[in-house]
Amino acid sequence: MSKQRSSMEHLLMWSFFLLVLVFLYAPLVPPIIGSFSSADGATSAYTEILRDPVLMNGVMNTLLIGILVAVATPLLALALAQALRAWQRPKLILTLVMLPLFVPGVSMGVATALFFRVTGMEASILSMVLVQVLWCLPFATLVILTAMSGFDQVYLEAAHMLGSNPMQAFFEIELPQIVQGLFGAAIFSLILSFNETIRTSIVQGGENTVQTYLWSQYQQIGLSPPLYALMTILILLTLGLIILLAVLDRRTARRAS
Amino acid sequence: MAEVQGGMKPSLPTSGNGGILGSLFPVLPRTVLLIVPVLFVAVLIIGPLSIMAAVSFWTKTGFTMKPDFSLEAYRTFLGGVRLSIFFRSLVVATFATLIMIVIAYPVAFLIARRVRADLVRSVLFLFSVPFLVNYILRTFAWTDILGRSGWVNEVLLWLGVVDAPLDWLLYSQFAVYLGLVTAYMPFMIFPIWLSLAGIDRRYEEASWMLGEGPLRSFWHITLPLSLPGVFAAAIFGFVGAFGEFAVSTVLGGTGYQLLGNSITSALDVINYPLAAAMSTFTVGVMAVLLTLWFRAFDLRIFLAKILD
Repeated sequence: MSKQRSSMEHLLMWSFFLLVLVFLYAPLVPPIIGSFSSADGATSAYTEILRDPVLMNGVMNTLLIGILVAVATPLLALALAQALRAWQRPKLILTLVMLPLFVPGVSMGVATALFFRVTGMEASILSMVLVQVLWCLPFATLVILTAMSGFDQVYLEAAHMLGSNPMQAFFEIELPQIVQGLFGAAIFSLILSFNETIRTSIVQGGENTVQTYLWSQYQQIGLSPPLYALMTILILLTLGLIILLAVLDRRTARRAS
Repeated sequence: MAEVQGGMKPSLPTSGNGGILGSLFPVLPRTVLLIVPVLFVAVLIIGPLSIMAAVSFWTKTGFTMKPDFSLEAYRTFLGGVRLSIFFRSLVVATFATLIMIVIAYPVAFLIARRVRADLVRSVLFLFSVPFLVNYILRTFAWTDILGRSGWVNEVLLWLGVVDAPLDWLLYSQFAVYLGLVTAYMPFMIFPIWLSLAGIDRRYEEASWMLGEGPLRSFWHITLPLSLPGVFAAAIFGFVGAFGEFAVSTVLGGTGYQLLGNSITSALDVINYPLAAAMSTFTVGVMAVLLTLWFRAFDLRIFLAKILD
């Protein structure tokens, strides 16, 4: 009787999950179909990207910015996470680093654009990198903090008692233990960078990323098969990176247990 | 005995080797290594926000602006068509947030309490994945699903449920709410789950043993203890919807605007003080909500799982 009831409960629960997931995942499908609905053959939408110099420039910018963001963000996040633990001021540092998460994209874009303007910094690849680092930092810091919480600080004390200084102890004892978290933060930053539009578009100047190009094209003339093809590539790339992240996460979890 | 003591002795000076100077020196570069990036991040976050607040009091002169202490930008914001956009954003963001919580809370609750422990990570993961795909791309996609010749209408026509395609699916309030909910809700499940998973189950068991039913236990014990996560999620969803620009442009139809559109339109006419004033106002709303959150809740419970 109670077993029947609990399997009924489970069925209801998973149906509810499935319903919500359908709504969340449905929007990932139309771009893929749209990219193949080109009049002259399925692959032409994809080859058209290669022939369009403006688009290719956007693709290169996206890759360059993504890599820079994925290198800079985890390092900054690591410093923030270490400072948070060393200075015993978690509230202060967390509030600071989490702030960009709660500021709407448009407002953060306007704020950084004005900051660059007033300080005399030209809009460039660098300004786009900086604005994206800010956006990725909260997530990267949380990923690294989670990795650090799995590391027992007793090892640091042991290293200290055996005569190593804090820097040595960090690089030789702690870093190898949390390096997976750093990789996780890097992939996370790469995903967020590939998927950022509004903050970037406000500080973009003359350069475009794939995302800012998509948004401006949508507003001016609407979407075409090559743009759907680009969206498809971005969605598949994102899903691929997420799977990589999951594999990494599983390996860390297995090693911890 | 004497031999053992003799063997211990040499190790004593080693631990105190170098005295104060020796233990201070290795600390110094580490502190510098931490202070520089923290300051850099602080400047990069606080700097833009405070300059934006300052610029909101400046005045627009032709294509540029000049330092001033004027309320002109705020007057333009609050005395015109932008005020009605502001009120619309307020209403839409409030209702969208309520809808998101009504969906996200049960999802988070079931994950925390009913899903088998070894599946929790995977289920949370499934709900978070869509958040990582740019919500603007996802918003574009809704036009293909909801349009007059979109999937939903085709299926409904084929099934014979309707005779003519429904036209309230797209370019409507419905579409805007759907777009907002699917854009921001995936991210709200995690903080709610975090606070639910952090609750000490013995409180609930105690309530049960003292004779309370499951519903009353939930209402008096579980719900209040999970509020920090709910409130954090609500701030995230509300502020996102309040400053929204893409969902309204793509799904709201011609002329439909939310505060984010109002801000970008001020940028388009190069009225930086006005854009700054509206942005500052939005950030102010967020700051008030965040302060309330800090005041009302003990963050340590919420962050216990992360900070250990």
